[in-house]
This record gives sequence, C-alpha cells and structure tokens, in this order.
Amino acid sequence: MPMLKMQNVSKIYRTGLVETRALRDFSMEVEAGEFVTITGPSGSGKTTFLNVSGLLDAFEEGIYTLDGLDVSRLSDREMSRVRNEKIGFIFQGFNLLPDLDVFDNIDVPLRYRRLPAKERKERIEKAVGMVGLSSRLRHLPAQLSGGQQQRVAIARVLAGDPKLILADEPTGNLDSAMAREIMEILEQVNEAGTTIVMVTHNPEHAARAHRQLHIADGRLVDFERIAPFPLNRPETRQETVHRQAAG
Amino acid sequence: MLLYNVRLAWKSVQRYPVLSALILLGIALGVGVSTTFITAYHVLARDPVPGKSDSLYYVRMDSWGRGDSPFRQEPPPLITWRDALELLKSRIPVRSTATFSSRATIFPADGVRPFRDSVRLVTTDFFPMFAVPFRYGGPWSREADARPESVAVISSALNDRLFGGANSVGRAIRLEGHDLRVAGVLGPWRPRVRAFGLIGNPLRAPEPVFIPLRLAGPMTFQPAEMEMNWRTPQPGEEALPYASRLMLNESLFLGFWAELPDAGKVREYQSYIDAYVSEQKKLGRFPNPPKNWVTSLLDLMEEQRVVPPQTKALAAISLLFLVVSALNLIGLFLGKFLARASNVGVRRALGASRWTIFVQHLVECELMGLAGGFLGVLLSVAGLAILNRVYGDGPDGVAFFQLDVPMVFAAVALSLLAGTIAGLYPAWRICAVPPARHLKSQ
Repeated sequence: MPMLKMQNVSKIYRTGLVETRALRDFSMEVEAGEFVTITGPSGSGKTTFLNVSGLLDAFEEGIYTLDGLDVSRLSDREMSRVRNEKIGFIFQGFNLLPDLDVFDNIDVPLRYRRLPAKERKERIEKAVGMVGLSSRLRHLPAQLSGGQQQRVAIARVLAGDPKLILADEPTGNLDSAMAREIMEILEQVNEAGTTIVMVTHNPEHAARAHRQLHIADGRLVDFERIAPFPLNRPETRQETVHRQAAG
Repeated sequence: MLLYNVRLAWKSVQRYPVLSALILLGIALGVGVSTTFITAYHVLARDPVPGKSDSLYYVRMDSWGRGDSPFRQEPPPLITWRDALELLKSRIPVRSTATFSSRATIFPADGVRPFRDSVRLVTTDFFPMFAVPFRYGGPWSREADARPESVAVISSALNDRLFGGANSVGRAIRLEGHDLRVAGVLGPWRPRVRAFGLIGNPLRAPEPVFIPLRLAGPMTFQPAEMEMNWRTPQPGEEALPYASRLMLNESLFLGFWAELPDAGKVREYQSYIDAYVSEQKKLGRFPNPPKNWVTSLLDLMEEQRVVPPQTKALAAISLLFLVVSALNLIGLFLGKFLARASNVGVRRALGASRWTIFVQHLVECELMGLAGGFLGVLLSVAGLAILNRVYGDGPDGVAFFQLDVPMVFAAVALSLLAGTIAGLYPAWRICAVPPARHLKSQ
C-alpha cells in the first residue's frame, strides 16, 4: 500500500482576479519506507506539493490518499490529528518556537496528542539522545547553532514517531558539514522504516534518495530511480553513495 | 491542557510586556468603573431585610380633612397617633410597629458635656421585624410597651461613648431629664437602606437610641423628620398636656408596619383597615374617598424610588464603558496575536486544530481579563471610598458602599466578559488562517 498517493490533484492560488495553478493534475505515489527527493526550479510547486501533502493547505481537485486514508473530505480536527500522528515536518527555517526551550519545543506535538507526562518525557529524552542534544534540553532556540536547531526540529519529529516525514530543504540554511550530518540522521530514520519526502535544491542530496522526482510548472515531469527499492536491496543507499563517491 | 495554555499566556505576556500592560490597564479601567457603579446600585437595590421583606407591609390611609387635599391619587405617607394606637391593637399581623424619629439631649455620666442626637420611638416588635442585631440584652417586653416603661435600646457606638463598650444592660442613660434603663445594646448595624424609614431619607444611618413609642406623650417627643397637619387646633387645646393633644390632633407623623406572613393575612388585614376606616367615617373622620393601602416593603421601595434613577443610569453607562473599553482592546489583541502568526502556523503543522488554537488564545484573553479585573477591583475599592466620602460612614464606622461577595463575583464575571469581548475576534482571526500561510512568514 502506498504511503502517499495523489491522483490528478490541482491547487490554485487566487489573488483578486489572478489565478495561479500551483499544482496541475498532479499524480504520484510514494511507497511506505521510501526516501523520495523532489527538485525543481523556484515557483515550480515543490512547497505547494509539500503543503498539500502535509494537509497544511487545501486542494481544489483530485484525490489524495495518505496511508490508505482519503484525506480529501476530512474535517479540520481530523486533519490536525492526521498531521499530529502520521506526519512529521522539517523546515528549512527550523520553525522552532522561540519562547520555548528544547524540551518544550519537542513536547508540543506530544501535548496535542494528549500523551501522559511520563511518556512524553521518555520520548523526548530518547529523541534528543538520537540527535545528540541531551545536554541542551533547557536551552532556548536562540542559544543554539543552526545545525543544533535543525537537530531539535528532527528530534521533535522523531519523538512523534510519524510514518511520513515531509522535509522542505532541511539543509538549505546549513553549512556543508552540518548539512551532511542532517542528511545522515535522515537516512538513519529512513532506514528504520519511516517514509521521507524531501524537497531540495542540492543535487548531491537529491541523489542520495531512492527516487528523485522533478517538478516544473506544477507537474511531475521526470523521475529517476537511483537505488533499488524495497529495502531488500543488496547494499544500502548510503553504501551506494559512498561507493560511487569513492569510484 | 488548561495549565499548558496558562503557561503559554504567561510567556506571551513576558514577550510583549508593554502591549500586555496596556491591555491590562484598559480592562482594569473598564472593570473598575463598572464595578464601582454597579456596586452603588446593588447596595441601594438589594433586599434591605433579607428573608423578611416579603412579609413586611406598610400601612397608609387617607385621614386628611375635607378641602384642598394634596393627596388625590394616593394616601398620605404617614398616619396619626390615634390611628397608630388603634392599629397596634390588631392581632392579625404577627407583629406590628408604629415609629417616628425625634431629637433628644443625652446627658452622659461623669459630667461630660451633654449632646443632642436622634431618637427613634418604636414598639418592641420593631426589632425582630427589621432583624436588628443585639450585642447585649435584647428588646424590651410588650408590657414595657404598654405601661410604658422607661427603657431604651442603644447603638453599639453610643454604648462605646457612654459606657466604654461594656455591657450596659440594666444601667441608666439620661435623656431629656428622664433616666431610662438600658434593655439592650445593638451589634454593629448599618443597613444601607433603612427599611423602616423609606419615607423621608432612607439612606440615613439608624438612630442611636430606641425607646418605647408610648413614651412620646410623657416625654413630649415631637417628630423631627416629617410631619403634616391640616387641622387647626380648637381654642384651649394648646393648653392641654402633650399626651392629650396627641390623641386629639390629626397630625400625621408615624410610619406603620405590619408583619403579614401570607397573602391570606394580607387580605384579612386589608379588610380590617377598610373596616376601621368605615368605622372612623361614622365618627366624622376620613371625609375623603377611602384610600387604604397595604404595600409590601419591596413595592414601597420601588414606589419611593429608593434607588435613584441616576444610579441605575450610571450603572448602565458604566457597563457600556466596559464594553467600549473591551472593544478598543480588540485591536491590541489582534496586533499581539498576528505578530506571532508564524508560531501559530508551526503549532498547526504539529497537530493543533483550529479549535485548539482558538482556545489557547481565548485563555490568554480571559487571563488578561481576570488580571485586569483584579486591578479593576482595587480601582473599584478606591472609587467606593470616594463615594463613601460623599455618603459618609455609618455610626459604627462601617462604610456605606462596600464590595460584598456577590459583587466580587460580579467583578470576576465582568472581567471574563471583557476578556471575551476583547479576545473573541482576534482569537477567531488567528485560528482561521490556513497554517501554510503562517508558515510562509516564518
């Protein structure tokens, strides 16, 4: 069963009399456990695709199925629950809440899920441990570097244990060393079974996915399978990349 | 979740201290002004004798002589001495009393300088009828009323002044050259509205001395508050003793109250009054068409406009002021909320529904409302202190206008109302925008 399936989805932005079709008859499928990157020029519809995929924005036409659930007709409350339980977002600008420290930032989605305090604490401690920030729990975002902030954002996603991660240029604001670290964390998460759809402008990062999709003018125009999928491939994608780099 | 929202509200206050202070001030002013004037209205309009008002009735009848009577639609507000004594004989009411206020010179012991003060003449039923509290002793007996005995009930303030606050029951006070035995000392008592004195000035403090009504004759107590007369004294009448003159003249100066426990008793008493007036007509009195009114205490308060119309108007205007203050705060809340719209976008992405965001922001508005309300109550206490300077304190030093428990609850309700008015639209606006739009501004 595909994790994400769109059939002829259209998204139109209206400003006064001007209509902009950000997505046109957009159809695609992402299998569960897949790592897909999306590239395309600015204004091509990449972010719109992520917003629609993440139920952050409505769409006008088409059918969108997420983890087997038709989300076209969900109420706001139901969509919020799907976002909270099934989707994790990683943004280019980190999107941490500036007034809350690391612990409280990671706690936000868990509170909306109404988990008991003890379980929330356990999840948070485990997640920050995975991104190597256990000693920064009481730091405010402003007291952290860009890379650390993005790791907090990833920890926030990991604590929620979503099935799908939507990442919008997660390394866009980071230097290359930090970007590599973030990519390695994402790869580990994907290897653990989480589906990842990542928008990126970085060809090297795009090439590290199972599949690379290209969007132009709100349409999927091209795709390239980089590595075999499903995961019973002879070597891991990371190994493939390393081998290609070495070769 | 409520505690979480409270924490977020506190963080928001810390993030925008100046804006929050302005909002707080706006709500405090609105709540302060409205609580002050609503309290003034509440103090005047509330039941003056809780639990008893329903059974207290004021009696009026038209004993005015033939001729140009000023009382065309309604009877005179007071009755004569002789009618009062007759009505007191009726056993239909559970209790009844006739009362008027006079002035007397009080002579303290130990040669301290004498002073003049008000005295109220009543029957012993007066005290239980108007729920008068006693610190020492109690009302005099019915026998003391009938004889009458030289007894008195004094206020706690007068007891403090004459006896240093000690239990003075059985001791004597000297009034107009007569020694009166103290039967009881009142506890602190400052009814905001004198239910027994609605005719005249109902907001005055009660008199410090109460003595049996029938002492009026021997001690020649004359009415000090209000007296109306239509009859010219006959030759030689002036030379009669005062007690005899009271029985002869048609001077109206007594208020008359009856305690009637149910509607049946009220009807029965009305018939009794009607019969009494018919009887008097046969004797040549009550020449005008009968106007015999038995009016309940609360109806009389309404009729006498104990609550001045201006007080009602001020209470209404102050509520309007609160609403206008709250409406003006909408812009401040909107600015505050929209300034952190991107944070709302993040929360929506992380799973907060529109309702969750709405509640989070409304909780912040209500908390600001409550905090402003707290300041408003303090302002209201100051405002009431100013009003008390105008009205003056009671003889026992009790302020006339005070915030009581119901008014504190009302202030809390007004604060929540202000928070709701000011916050409803901004909270709805911030939760209604699609999350993707907020995230773009991050």
